[in-house]
Order: sequence, then structure tokens, then C-alpha cells
Amino acid sequence: MELKSIKKHYMLYIMMVPIVGYFLLFAYYPLAKGLQISLQDYKLMGDRPYIGLTNYETVLHDPFFWQSLRNTVFIGIGILLFGFFAPLVVALSLNEVFKSWFKKMAQLVLYIPHLLSWVVVGGMWIFFLSPDSGLVNLLLKEIGIAPIHFMADEAWGRWVMIGSATWKDMGYNCILFLAGIVSINPSLYEAARMDGASRWQQARYVTIPQLMNTMKVIFLLNTLGIFRIFDQIFVMSNTAIANKVDVLMMYTFSKGILEIRIGQAAAASFFVIVFTLLLTLMTRKLTRFDEV
Amino acid sequence: MNIERYDRLGWKNKLFDSVNIVFLLLLMLTMIIPFANVLALACSSGFASMQPDIILFPKDFSVEGFTIVWNSLNIWQPFLNSVIVTVIGTVLHVMLACIGGYVLIHPHVPGKKIMISFILVTMMIPQDAVMIPLYVVNKDLHLINTLSSLVISGLVSGFSILLMRNFFMVVPYEMAESAQIDGAGDLRIFSTMYMRLATSGLATITLFELVSRWNMLTAAILYINDSKKYTLQVALKAMILDTSSTSSNYLVTTNVRMAGILITIIPLLAVYPFVQRYFMKGIMLGANKE
Repeated sequence: MELKSIKKHYMLYIMMVPIVGYFLLFAYYPLAKGLQISLQDYKLMGDRPYIGLTNYETVLHDPFFWQSLRNTVFIGIGILLFGFFAPLVVALSLNEVFKSWFKKMAQLVLYIPHLLSWVVVGGMWIFFLSPDSGLVNLLLKEIGIAPIHFMADEAWGRWVMIGSATWKDMGYNCILFLAGIVSINPSLYEAARMDGASRWQQARYVTIPQLMNTMKVIFLLNTLGIFRIFDQIFVMSNTAIANKVDVLMMYTFSKGILEIRIGQAAAASFFVIVFTLLLTLMTRKLTRFDEV
Repeated sequence: MNIERYDRLGWKNKLFDSVNIVFLLLLMLTMIIPFANVLALACSSGFASMQPDIILFPKDFSVEGFTIVWNSLNIWQPFLNSVIVTVIGTVLHVMLACIGGYVLIHPHVPGKKIMISFILVTMMIPQDAVMIPLYVVNKDLHLINTLSSLVISGLVSGFSILLMRNFFMVVPYEMAESAQIDGAGDLRIFSTMYMRLATSGLATITLFELVSRWNMLTAAILYINDSKKYTLQVALKAMILDTSSTSSNYLVTTNVRMAGILITIIPLLAVYPFVQRYFMKGIMLGANKE
């Protein structure tokens, strides 16, 4: 029976060959290879002796690793919170708009930054935040505030990252929230109106509680992004603020590609993988916790 | 019902609506003004663009920014590379996603569960976290400094496969079965039925893939050092951020940089309003996945 079925579907197996082959070579093998490299004194040429856990020890004793972990946590949590609440507020506010053309146009516009790369968005913001000719400082000057060196001041660096990331992904998360709001059963609103609920009360007692599930999903999805922040920092970091904004992936990148200490970079990557897995399990547990 | 509507037009509601609209308009302005500013700077002369007073309107109108960035800085080369990598990569990616999705809609294929877990595990491996070993793999395969490395990067994604599978599931499976009884093979059913019936799904993942490949940065900075193979994103990054170290520094005035940004985003912004609904659809499908 099984054999007959396999024979009948032989074409399907042939179709799967390139996909399985790709994943073996570019997903599973690199993972195993990464583990191997992390245990080696890996050079691009010549001998690659195994050196046990030395690479991991080096990473754990590297103050830059810990600094980049602190930066990741600070910036990650900042983006997580602002990137969650800001679009939520915007979605609730868009939901109160009755003219559908305005709603559509707002979504169209708000999504644009998400469509663009970090090179473009980061490059634009670096320019807008520049002290002499940047848009932001021109506006600050109008209201009588002295120019701020946003991109050269350690105190501002992390907030610039959080702010620009929130700005970029605003439209994306907003659309997710709006989709959740649209799928709320309209009869709930009718019932609330019958009972004389004001618009504020409808939002407070119908929309927000009904949106809980959507919120959990979005929060979970965004949590997984914390350790993946890279493009943004790669584009926007500079030597003046690097110490406050360079995240774990930047650490891995500069160790592995720029300093060619590949073993150490591979070891650092495994910490990232472990952190991501832990975070995934944790958020899954937390978000499911209330449901049961 | 009408009376209810009328009630909601009380002054409090009206005030709220006005405040709300103003808030949203201001927010939209924070998205529009930056782009207007980029456009105004790009269309100003080199000298004027270095002065701190251009906000919405170009001063000393000129297109020299565009001609310098295109002809003197030769950004057409990275532009071409980006087009090649994006188009080939997207076509292959979507094809493979469709093939995978099609295989997984068959209910009685032995080993299907194993295939699905095999794919799901790849989705849990954070791609960026394996960038060092991926670099080594590409090096061992002699792919460093080739555009092929960029086409191959992310060529198959479990996420796209499962998304395509969802689109295919909407097509009634009985149709495939009856075609099978009529003697059509899997390849034929796949190409003549499924590929034609799931066009909106195809459009959705094609668009998402086009955008993400056009914007691809990590792979391009990892695998490419030869400036002839630079993609637009890498070239733009070099141009707007690292200019101090290059000899052509004197050319890169603000209007040139902004023209570079515009050339990078125009292909996306030109099509975006017409295909926006596919993006909205795709976002929602992506979110419902988890």
C-alpha cells in the first residue's frame, strides 16, 4: 500500500529534491558547520585545530560582548514597546475614522517606510538628524532649541535607533492591528450602542478586550525580532555612538568578517541562537498562559 | 439607526473626530515630509543643496544630482546588478515555493509529516545567526564575489512554501483527483491547474519577494567586496555614509546623495500604490501563520 502510494506520487518526491537539497546545504549544514567552527581555531587557510570551548570562553570574557548584549536588550525592548503601542494607538484612532477613503490613504502612506530598505531609511534619518542642515534641527531652530548632535551623542544613539525603527514599522504593525479590529463581531458594537455606550466606552470595553489575541500574536512576532536587529545598526552606527548601539549581530559580524576571528564569531552566534530559542519559549509560555 | 447616527454628531463627537483627523494628518506628514525633503534636495543644484534652508521646495532647480550619480558615479552598474539579482532570485524563489506548496497539499503522500517538520525546523533557525557559517559555505563553494551568491541567499523559504500551500488549499482537491483519473500527471496538474487558479497568491508572494530582494543588505555585504558586483543597496550605503574615504568625495554633494536615494526607492514607490491590496493581504496572511 505504502509502496504503491510512493510509486503513484513519485513525481512529488522528485519535485521536493531541490527544496530538500537547498535546506540541507544552506540551512542544516551551516548550523552544524557553525557548531564545528565554534570549537575550532578556524583559519581561512591551513590547520584548524579543535580547541574545545576556548572560543566560548573568549566571548564570555569579552566586555564588548556584554556591552553589545546590553545594547541589544535596551534597543530591543525599546523597539518592542514603542513598536507595539504606537501603532496600536494609531490603529484605534484610524478605526474611529468613518471616511473610508481617508482610512485607505492613511494606510497607504503609513506603510511606505516599511517598504524601503534600512540603507534608505537610515541614510535619510542620519541626514535629517544632522546638526547643521538636517530637517529635525531646522525645525528645532524654528522653535528656539539649539541644534542637537543626535548621531554623535551617546545619550541619543539608542533613542534614535528606537525612534527610527518605530517610525519605519509603524504602518506594518498598524495594518495588523486594523485587521484584528475589522474581524471583531459587529453585533458586539450594536449591543454596546443599545446600552448607550459612548465611542470611548466602545473602544475601551469592546475593541481592546476583543483585540487581545491579535495583540499577543503581534507581541510574540516582534519579540522574535529583538536579536535579529542588524541592518539598521549596520547602516546607522558610527564610531561616536557604537559603544551604545552596536548589537549582538554587529558583534558577530565585526568579529567574523572584519577581524576574521571566525571561531569566536561562530561561538557568539550560538549565544544568539540560544537567546532566541529561550525568548521564543518564554513568550510562547507567557502569551498562552492567560488563555488556559 | 438614522437617529443614532444623528446622535453621534454631537459637539463632543465632532470635536473628537476633528482632533483625531488632525492627529492622523500630522502623523502622515511625518512620513510625507521626509520624502518631499529628499525630492527637493535631489532636484536642487549641488551648491544650493548644501545650504540649510531647503525643506519642501527645490532651490536653484537642477537635475545634476541625477546625472552625476548615474553617469559619474556609475550607479547604473549596481542598479543593473540589483535588477538581475532581484528578478532571477524572485522568479526562482516563487517557483520553488509553488513546487513545495503543491507537494504538501496532497493528503496521502507517505513521508509528508517528515517533510513538513523538516521545513518547519528551517524556519526556526534564525538566518542572521548563521551568517558566519553561511559565509564559510559560500566561500567553500567559490560563490564569494558572484551575483549567484545573492540569488542563492534565501532562495528557498519554508515560510513561502507554507504560504503557497495555503493558497493552493483553496483550490478544491477533487479537481486534482478527477484530473488524475483522466490521466494527467502531477506536473501537468501543477502547471495547468494550480498555477493558474492561485494567481492572487502568486502575486502576493512575488511582490513580497521582489521588495525583500531589492532591499537585501546582509547577504550583499557578506558575500560581495568587488565594487563591480555591488548591489544598489551596498553602493548607496557606500555613497551616502562612507564618502569621506573615497577620492570622488568632491562629487558627492547632498543633492547627489538624495538622487541616489530616489533612484533606489522609485522602482518600489512607482508600483506600490497599484498593488497595495496584495501587500495588505500578504501581511494578514503572514500574521495569521503563527
